[in-house]
Amino acid sequence: MDEDYLFAATQTHHTMMGRAIVKETTLEEFIKNPNAGNEPELLEIKAGKDIKKERTENVTLWTEHEIGNHHWGLSIDLNSCIGCGACVVACTAENNVSVVGKDEVRRSREMHWMRIDRYYSSDADPKEHQSGDNALMEIPSDMPKVVYQPVMCQHCNHAPCETVCPVIATSHSSEGLNQMTYNRCVGTRYCANNCPYKVRRFNWFQYSDNKDFDFNTNNDLGKMVLNPDVVVRSRGVMEKCSMCVQRIQEGKLNAKKEGRQVKEGEVNTACAQTCPTQAITFGDYNRKDSAINTMWKPEERSYHLLGELNVQPNVFYQTKVRNVEEVAEVHTKGAEKHS
Amino acid sequence: MAKRIYGVFDDEEALMHAIPLLKEKGVVCKDVQSPFPIHGIESLIGVPRTRISIASFLYGLTGTSFALWMTWYMMIYDWPINIGGKPNMMFYMNLPAFIPVTFELTVFCAAHGMAITFLLRSKLLPGVTAPIPHPRITDDKFILHVDVKDESKVNDVAALIKSEGASDVLLKSMQFS
Amino acid sequence: MSGNHEAVVRDPLILGKKTYHQMTEDICRPIEGKANKYWWISFIVAFVAMIWGMTCLAYTIGTGIGSWGANKTVGWAWDITNFVWWIGIGHAGTLISAILLLFRQRWRMSINRSAEAMTIFAVICAGLFPLFHTGRPWLDYWMLPLANQFGSLWVNFNSPLLWDVFAISTYFSVSLVFWYLGLLPDLATVRDRCVDPTKRFIYGIISFGWKGTARDWHRFEEVSLVLAGLSTPLVLSVHTIVSFDFATSIVPGWHTTIFPPYFVAGAIFSGFAMVLTLMIIARKVLGLQEYITLQHIELMNKIIILTGSIVGVAYTTEFFIAWYSGNGYEGYAFQNRAFGPYWWAYWSMMTCNVITPQLFWFKKIRTSIMATFIISIFVNIGMWFERFVIIVTSLHRDYLPSSWVMYSPTFIEVGIFVGTIGLFFVLFLTFSRLFPVIALAELKSILKKTGNQYKKKGIL
Repeated sequence: MDEDYLFAATQTHHTMMGRAIVKETTLEEFIKNPNAGNEPELLEIKAGKDIKKERTENVTLWTEHEIGNHHWGLSIDLNSCIGCGACVVACTAENNVSVVGKDEVRRSREMHWMRIDRYYSSDADPKEHQSGDNALMEIPSDMPKVVYQPVMCQHCNHAPCETVCPVIATSHSSEGLNQMTYNRCVGTRYCANNCPYKVRRFNWFQYSDNKDFDFNTNNDLGKMVLNPDVVVRSRGVMEKCSMCVQRIQEGKLNAKKEGRQVKEGEVNTACAQTCPTQAITFGDYNRKDSAINTMWKPEERSYHLLGELNVQPNVFYQTKVRNVEEVAEVHTKGAEKHS
Repeated sequence: MAKRIYGVFDDEEALMHAIPLLKEKGVVCKDVQSPFPIHGIESLIGVPRTRISIASFLYGLTGTSFALWMTWYMMIYDWPINIGGKPNMMFYMNLPAFIPVTFELTVFCAAHGMAITFLLRSKLLPGVTAPIPHPRITDDKFILHVDVKDESKVNDVAALIKSEGASDVLLKSMQFS
Repeated sequence: MSGNHEAVVRDPLILGKKTYHQMTEDICRPIEGKANKYWWISFIVAFVAMIWGMTCLAYTIGTGIGSWGANKTVGWAWDITNFVWWIGIGHAGTLISAILLLFRQRWRMSINRSAEAMTIFAVICAGLFPLFHTGRPWLDYWMLPLANQFGSLWVNFNSPLLWDVFAISTYFSVSLVFWYLGLLPDLATVRDRCVDPTKRFIYGIISFGWKGTARDWHRFEEVSLVLAGLSTPLVLSVHTIVSFDFATSIVPGWHTTIFPPYFVAGAIFSGFAMVLTLMIIARKVLGLQEYITLQHIELMNKIIILTGSIVGVAYTTEFFIAWYSGNGYEGYAFQNRAFGPYWWAYWSMMTCNVITPQLFWFKKIRTSIMATFIISIFVNIGMWFERFVIIVTSLHRDYLPSSWVMYSPTFIEVGIFVGTIGLFFVLFLTFSRLFPVIALAELKSILKKTGNQYKKKGIL
């Protein structure tokens, strides 16, 4: 076996480069200070004569658009996520995401609408308020700590992708969703470049009904797997997580037919529905009693990914809390047993 | 009906020198054809200052107004959309994003409007046949157009023009628009 | 009229003993004569390259943009690099004819015609990339402010890409008009010299019946002046707007307020380099050494030193601000440019753009035609790398390291780039055989001011 084999991997860089992407803390710290690892960034704001401190995401120069009836969002608890990937599979099945094969993945063109980022710790990771050596930070530790982070479209209220589209193929819904209009898209890919989360996926080729991509869309049996509520995208258009807008629509229509409000838990996204540890919660920010609202409110572990950009995502994450004492205890006990 | 004759000069300086002298003697100098612009000739033969730059300014203003109206109509009035949360409730809120397009349309209209006006005013269009009294008019000859009211005096005037430095005088008739 | 004569200390811009008629003969010779061997060899090479590029482009349109090397993270790469490179080159022509006209620089008259032609051809090459880099190029017209067929959905005037549509089309059409109006008197010259009736008819049509009366010239000069006044802010705005594509985004390494002036300086820099590359060949092949003199080359070299230094300062400033701003992402982006996996592109850019033009401080190098030619090619290469560095190295490692990837081009997109170079030379070579490459009428008007035999050196 002296043959080289090029692995098809969706993630080719493995460390966090000292960036606060997955925020984490230890149980000990967390008990002392629930904000540990997630200190809010505060700005001094002049309100009349007083100077008050405001969280950065609440500060804006713009007059905000109203998000009236519903305001959909997702909460992702990094503490519960075990990185199993069930959400990715569910999303792919629900949304007719193209299977593109090894060759395209090797060229970094996987189509998954959501992914699970996996980061290893590095020995060179900076301690607090220090900067690390970039070259060394790229190398993971031999025995790294691992974190998982599901990332899908963050449905930013100040979405950088929307502003740059010349043809308004992507715009914001009145329910806080970042919508993608496939028919209108001409495929400049500017939105993907300007997405800080890199969640937009482009149809580089015609992936369906194409002999070069012989996976599941070239025969009748394979096509029966497709979800009839979701379109199959064609070549040259951008696509991304829609927060299962077809399910939201169905829930709203059912409620309308019965002349009532959408009930909490009536609508759920494929990823949230599938998560075995219930790390993902879907809900309506505009309902006082919704789970997602009560989760966000304490603001202790909740944070927006790349919050410093202030793109105001509708998806938020919750800090990972590690019980290092217990782990250390187990380790030392194990070590004692062995010796 | 006046008869038009053409004095051929070999040098623009000779032409410039000749025109005032001819005018003194009562010769009507109507126009000049030259291979390149001769500065200062306009006042000698009475070409009024062109107003084409004013026209250009007006075309530019049209472009500006059209661009402002268009962006307002398309983005604010006809189909307002929440695009990246940008405030578009009022025109002025979204105006900064419309400045580049407004500028470009201003230049577009000013430049093209003026160019078209120039071509129409000077009757320059594909298919127009140029009235060329002398084949080297676009090479190195300078032609002075002179109107002679009394046809019997044509030869006298021609001799006069020659005496003031013209190398030749053409008596053929041309259709000038 | 001695007041009109230039200061005697200035070197003549037209060498040899020229008369008006001799100038006409010299400049019309390439149009009236037969093409020589070198012309045909270069034309065939360029034509083959163009056909190859068109084949690659057809393949791309047929199969999809996936035939290029771009991926989920690097959405733009060679395509937009080439677009910005060509559009930058396309800035010299209008700059020469507009800004130098306003500054009354007479030396522009020998080079403005071919520089403007170069501008137009470069913009054509540039325009191909944004048109065909889209996923569905047959729907590109949706970027025009037309209501779509399903209801009046308009375009997005917030998008820098839409500003680009307006800027590039305005720039192209205004440059074309400026160039063509200037051509009218010279086309008339060719028309009046034509012996062959077919040729005479064709040149008669395309010269619009130019007759050169005093009124025509008066308006012509006014129009030129106003067009120059309009083109000057236009030429500055075009590359400013191109830089907005990057500057208004949030990608670290793109989101920089220095971009507009930096891009404009870079555009002039690369444009002049390309003018020099072309002119040095053209003056030799077309026998125009007495019109495009060493003085012209030296003056252009001086502009290259100036703009090259501005670009150098911009590179340094960017680096400094990346560190000084304390923005970690920005800091990383710049460190990654210089020392990351694409370090070779960064250092090629630095060598070609910052170091080589500084050699022009030496008069020996600045007045050497061979050295100028070599350095101008270095600058062209360096400016291509500048755009590659800005686009690819900023995108390939942005915010979330999980999405970091590498980019490498495919032979298809390299083929398209080669094809645009072919197209450019096919157009330029055709132009040099069909149109007067020097603004004849304009140059005649300065013969007595700056022609060699009219300069009475030492006598005043």
